Amino acid sequence: MVLNSEPVVETRDLSIGYLDEYDRVWWVVIGVNLRINEGETYCIVGESGCGKSTLGNALIGILPPYAETRGIIRIMGEEIVRDDKHCYWKSRGRIVSYIPQNPGKALHPFMTIHVQFKHLYRARGLRLDDRGVAEKASRILELVGLDPDEVLDSYPHELSGGMQQRAAIAMAVSTGAKIIVADEPTSSLDANLRLQILKLLRKIKEELGITLIMITHDLVQASKNCERIGVMYAGRIVEEAPVKEIFRNPQHPYTQLLLETVPVLGVVKELKTIPGEPPRPGEYPPGCPFHPRCPFRIDKCSREEPVLRKINGKHYVSCWLR
Amino acid sequence: MTIEKSRMQKRIRGIKELFSRAWKRRPVFRAGVVIALTLLFMAILGPFIAPYPSEGWGIPPATSRGAQPPSPEHPFGTDAAGRDILSRILIGAGMALFQIAVVVSVSLAIGLLVGSVAAYYGGVMEKILNYFTETFMAFPAIIVALALNSLFGRGLMVVLLSLIITWWSWYARIAYVNARSTREMEYVLLAELSGLPRYRILFRHILPNISTPVIVQAITDTGSVLLEAASINFLGLGLPTDYPDWGVLVQNGFNYIYSYPWISLIPGAFILVAALGLSMLGDSLREEMDPRLRRRWRLWF
Amino acid sequence: MPVSLNYVVKRTVWALLVIIGVIVFSYIFLYLAPGDPAYIWAGRPRGVNATIAIMNARRELGLDKPLPVQILLFIKNVFTGNMGVSIEYKQPVSVIIWRGLTATLELLIIAYLIGVSLGVLLGIYSALKRNTRLDHGLQVLAITLANAPSFWLAIGLIVALAYLTGFTGYGRVDTRLAIATGFRPITGFYLLDSLIEGNIPVFIDVLLRILPPAIIVATYPLGLGIRMARALIAETLGEEYVKAAIAWGVKRRTVIWRYAFKGTIPSLTQVLGLAFAYSLVDAMIVEIVFGREGLGSLAYHIIGKSDFPLVIGLMITVTAFYIIVNTLADILQAMIDPRVRL
Repeated sequence: MVLNSEPVVETRDLSIGYLDEYDRVWWVVIGVNLRINEGETYCIVGESGCGKSTLGNALIGILPPYAETRGIIRIMGEEIVRDDKHCYWKSRGRIVSYIPQNPGKALHPFMTIHVQFKHLYRARGLRLDDRGVAEKASRILELVGLDPDEVLDSYPHELSGGMQQRAAIAMAVSTGAKIIVADEPTSSLDANLRLQILKLLRKIKEELGITLIMITHDLVQASKNCERIGVMYAGRIVEEAPVKEIFRNPQHPYTQLLLETVPVLGVVKELKTIPGEPPRPGEYPPGCPFHPRCPFRIDKCSREEPVLRKINGKHYVSCWLR
Repeated sequence: MTIEKSRMQKRIRGIKELFSRAWKRRPVFRAGVVIALTLLFMAILGPFIAPYPSEGWGIPPATSRGAQPPSPEHPFGTDAAGRDILSRILIGAGMALFQIAVVVSVSLAIGLLVGSVAAYYGGVMEKILNYFTETFMAFPAIIVALALNSLFGRGLMVVLLSLIITWWSWYARIAYVNARSTREMEYVLLAELSGLPRYRILFRHILPNISTPVIVQAITDTGSVLLEAASINFLGLGLPTDYPDWGVLVQNGFNYIYSYPWISLIPGAFILVAALGLSMLGDSLREEMDPRLRRRWRLWF
Repeated sequence: MPVSLNYVVKRTVWALLVIIGVIVFSYIFLYLAPGDPAYIWAGRPRGVNATIAIMNARRELGLDKPLPVQILLFIKNVFTGNMGVSIEYKQPVSVIIWRGLTATLELLIIAYLIGVSLGVLLGIYSALKRNTRLDHGLQVLAITLANAPSFWLAIGLIVALAYLTGFTGYGRVDTRLAIATGFRPITGFYLLDSLIEGNIPVFIDVLLRILPPAIIVATYPLGLGIRMARALIAETLGEEYVKAAIAWGVKRRTVIWRYAFKGTIPSLTQVLGLAFAYSLVDAMIVEIVFGREGLGSLAYHIIGKSDFPLVIGLMITVTAFYIIVNTLADILQAMIDPRVRL
């Protein structure tokens, strides 16, 4: 890892909220600081509703029009301005790309894969004829392990779930972007397909030198592919560390409890669940957001919010006990 | 529960809550309510505030004044027989509301029953009832009115019957679609398991649950019913010539559109405004029910 | 074609069943009416020939046979195009109706070409400018157009045109001009016929005469188009595939037209197909007001004249038209949407 280089993705005090019909803002992401380096695989782990997808959407630039943002997002050193009048970000799809959660819905149902590739190439300013599109797309489709002759002229619904996801990955890569945000790329797939897709992501990342930001609720998946993990709870990053460090030496009580819910091969142990329910988006408790569910809470937790502090090396945690 | 209360998107349950929300948030709905209430007042007070009540009911004045353009004495002018158009319009409002009320309520009752029975009982019953529904959906009211007219001649029954015959099927369809999804709900299954008789389940669980969308549709339809009834009366298929009905009023002026255009145009404008108001009422309710259109929006990409 | 034959066959058979249901209902209608069906069918005749006319009607309807046989006979007659003879026009009902149907269809098609194209465009525009003043204005316009009584609008337009241009001649074509230029209808669609014959003066005349009524008939599809297109585009713009396309950098115009609009086409086809079928009656009313020949005038002339065979013929035709158009719209929708493979 190159330490002295600029991070390719950086956020500073990024908060994102949604406006409801009464013009109230419901903040779902609160003060997130990310520094993701080139070629790294960073994983954002958290329960559903913790704001991880919103954070991902902000990085891609596809927040819905009723979202509010505060703070700074820098990608490739350039600050992204969310211009109200015109575009959110002109380089959307050229620098940052996106692997959807549900490829069955993310591919247009009325267009063949071939036509959808054509639109993607057009978006990059490539004027290709049908053969040109087919040739270029075939190379990428082969890379993701699909048979171009079979896939190119199919409609998305004619493909299986795994094939759809491979096709979606191919499209994400074909934009030429070097940063890819994958939002729960495997959650709609069967268990054995999951591993295949994860392997595929790793392969693509290495072959094309892509910076991958994975969003998942599954720590095991995160451990398979990633270098660093940011644990997200109630809109905040509560702990951030390299994968091994997280597994060996988890510091935040939430991370510890999360790890105890993970089954480990060959070890017979009682699987635990975290007591209580995760807070609803936008209704995070005051103080440390985890304190209502935390077994180690002290008085201070419900009053003051801890900040993310460095523990050692690249390990950061926000907890009053550390 | 506080969490439940502050959900970002609330599900709308009863028709009452729907009304109060629509009133608070939708100017279109308020405009619709104002028009509908005006119509109601006209219908109730019309016979009392009409300047020439007997002319309003269709009796020509003793000394015919002929067709006169709008004047202070006759704000909307008089028709070819010299009758004051304002009075005829005021009394016609009641006629319009009466036709709407009868047609919508009778078709609603038939439609709800047929639709929910088809959805709930299933099997052969479902097939047969759906077949009937689909067949009757194909009949246009005006053509049925033509047929009824050739059998029975003009009359109020022609208007009401032709509209009911053609209208109930639409409610049956909506009721069917909604009831079919309700049938799969857990509480219906639970009620079935607990041994409640089927007709009781139908009345206690299914009908109340599908009534909101069907009633909203019925409110939307009141405008269309008014238009259809007016068309039937305009063509001379329904109410007789001297009746104080807006459609008939337009018909009365139809032969004189080049010389006395106001006889047709003014009552027609009332049909338009009334139908518009009633549709606005229903449409804004429907939009309020559908959360997709409630979101704030601008072109963001 | 992604649609299997099976779906088309199933849909067609269902449509046929419904049409048969309509015919049966029409017959029962006649049967349940007070009085002797043969007497009604013969047009309530009086005088010397009355007995013979009633006897003929009795034979034609097969009234001496049991009711199911009568109904079957009636269905057979309708499907072979034998719907009796109009009492008023003294011509076979099928011939008269066919002549009227082409005239009305011509009006309806022109009206829909205007109304749908304009309405859908404005609707998309409205959806993209959601919650702006322009959007609100368009919505008010749409709901007003969809609720305006067409007969009243027609009267208004006639009056306005008469005052502004002095034009009052309606009807399908200037008869003298048609004779002078040797115009002969071939298909019954005068616009098409005059083009086939290369008869430009007649074409312009027919077009000018059809435009005012067509504009009135177009108000309904225009209003509906604006509202439907707006709602559907607003819905597809929120779809996952639009989000993904944006994230992959597809240009805005492509996203709107190739992704969002394309996603609405099947539903639009279905809704507007239904409206097209529904508008036939609307076109008939407008025809009556404008004094054009067509199904509407046909119906208008027999009001109160107890021409029952023609009334039943009209009822079956208009209803069958509705069913056929609806079925076609459904099949078309299934053809456009590659996911439907029933």
